[in-house]
Amino acid sequence: MEADLQRLAQAVIDGKRKDAAELTTKLLDAGCNPKDVLEKGLIAGMGVVGARFKAGEFFVPEVLVAARSMKAAMGILKPKLAGADIQPPGTIVLGTVRGDLHDIGKNLVAMMAEGAGFKVVDLGVDVTPEKFIEAAKEHNANLVGLSALLTTTMINIPDVIKAFEKDGQREKVKIIVGGAPLTQEWADKIGADGYAPDAASAVDVCKSLV
Amino acid sequence: MERQFYIDLANKGLRMPIGTDLVLHEKPDAAAIILDGERLGGIIEEAAVRYRTPLAVGLMDLMLEKSAMLEMLGITAGDIPTYHFHEWPGDHLFKKVSGPGAGPFNRQLQAHIDAVAFVSRRASGLIPIGMTIGPFSLMTKLLADPITPVFMAGAGTTAEEDPEVALVEKTLELSTLIILRSVTEQIKAGAKIILIAEPAANRVYFSPKQLEEGADVYERCVMRPNRRIRELLEKRGVDLFFHCCGDLTDSMVRDFASLEPVILSLGSSRKLWEDASLVSPRIVLYGNLPTKKFYSDADAPLEAVKRSTWEIIGKMHAAGHPHILGSECDVLSVPGAESTIREKVDMFMNCTCPTF
Repeated sequence: MEADLQRLAQAVIDGKRKDAAELTTKLLDAGCNPKDVLEKGLIAGMGVVGARFKAGEFFVPEVLVAARSMKAAMGILKPKLAGADIQPPGTIVLGTVRGDLHDIGKNLVAMMAEGAGFKVVDLGVDVTPEKFIEAAKEHNANLVGLSALLTTTMINIPDVIKAFEKDGQREKVKIIVGGAPLTQEWADKIGADGYAPDAASAVDVCKSLV
Repeated sequence: MERQFYIDLANKGLRMPIGTDLVLHEKPDAAAIILDGERLGGIIEEAAVRYRTPLAVGLMDLMLEKSAMLEMLGITAGDIPTYHFHEWPGDHLFKKVSGPGAGPFNRQLQAHIDAVAFVSRRASGLIPIGMTIGPFSLMTKLLADPITPVFMAGAGTTAEEDPEVALVEKTLELSTLIILRSVTEQIKAGAKIILIAEPAANRVYFSPKQLEEGADVYERCVMRPNRRIRELLEKRGVDLFFHCCGDLTDSMVRDFASLEPVILSLGSSRKLWEDASLVSPRIVLYGNLPTKKFYSDADAPLEAVKRSTWEIIGKMHAAGHPHILGSECDVLSVPGAESTIREKVDMFMNCTCPTF
């Protein structure tokens, strides 16, 4: 069974969707604990993908196909996990801020965070401050991720932070920010709790904040 | 125009930002101007005059062709920004956007074309430059996830085997058709140069690892469609100004150079003096000050802009490659940071450099 778990991790790393799904089915049919399939197979595989991405050995397309393989496997695994009492390390509400339609960076963070076991609520692009607050409340999120690609839209990030303050929700969530034009200095200036220069680092920041 | 014209501009030390957006947003009614070809043309002229360049560069709005095309297909304006094809609706779309029965351009794309005509008509000595998004970049705006199927295509998956790969191919063809039509109209309006902005043709959308292993997907998805535009320009005697501010490999830069643009504009992630060895000296390199950071005095203090100006000018001089100093992309007007951006643009335009 250990060998199949390693094969499953490798299928995720290689982005082999069909293999990942078949191995997941095989492991579950053989009586493997769903938690082990998740942690030793899928999360382990995505962990390697994240590390290689961070090291510059993998690029965005490799991460996306790996995430897609994990998703295919999760489709099979999820019903079995329902009774397994697995708590995600955190819940992150994620989106690209108002006025910005770019989503590659935000999608990568979502995939990497899911790959690390977080529950991810992806609100998509052009998200208003109100939607972020509403989703954070609804899903009892402890993390909020705000993304912007353009210098002309990054200025909408502080509006979200202010909206959380105004709504009395600021203490309940840690807010992390990211996107090409952003810097640590700017993130500090606007009162964000964390800043990540890339998707793999974003997951590390999430882990450090929960 | 003769290629030598651009080389001479470079040799005379021309500096210029792609600054139309900056000038546009100084006006209180910018949103109305972009729908009015004459007024937009006036802004283009004003930007060229202010920045002392004969090159009158159109507004770099990369949503123009997407909006115009989707309006032709009946998508409501409010849905256009986030609209994606999830499956291919059918080849009848090709006729709807291009060919004898195709719908008219929307107001904004028509104004963009009319602005070219305005600059051309005025005969003020300015060279009207048309502008279009590149076919690959437009395709990426029309799909929710273009990266995965492009990677799959690179791994050998065919359109027959996978509907997502087929969707990429069809959407890329649709994108190419609308761009060819837009470019044709801009040429008819008097454009002497067409600027193709292809920012998505980069290392985010394509895996350098896959390309190094020999995949031809970059050739199929980026180069072939751009060559079709290049051929149109060639036939019509119009020059190519090619722009990509994305993160690139050397091989991608070589590919762009193979289009033989008169000017090649690259983002600030590239060292132009190193790229000089990848690009024919017949192609003027343009850029590439980190203007996307100009809004921030911490990341781009005025003194650093001056140092970067000196560095690029000095190193390009040493490389012996024709070069026009400029921005890494269009310089966007950032609300609240307008004056600091203008100050830095003025700095690189006007600062004196050591003699080389």
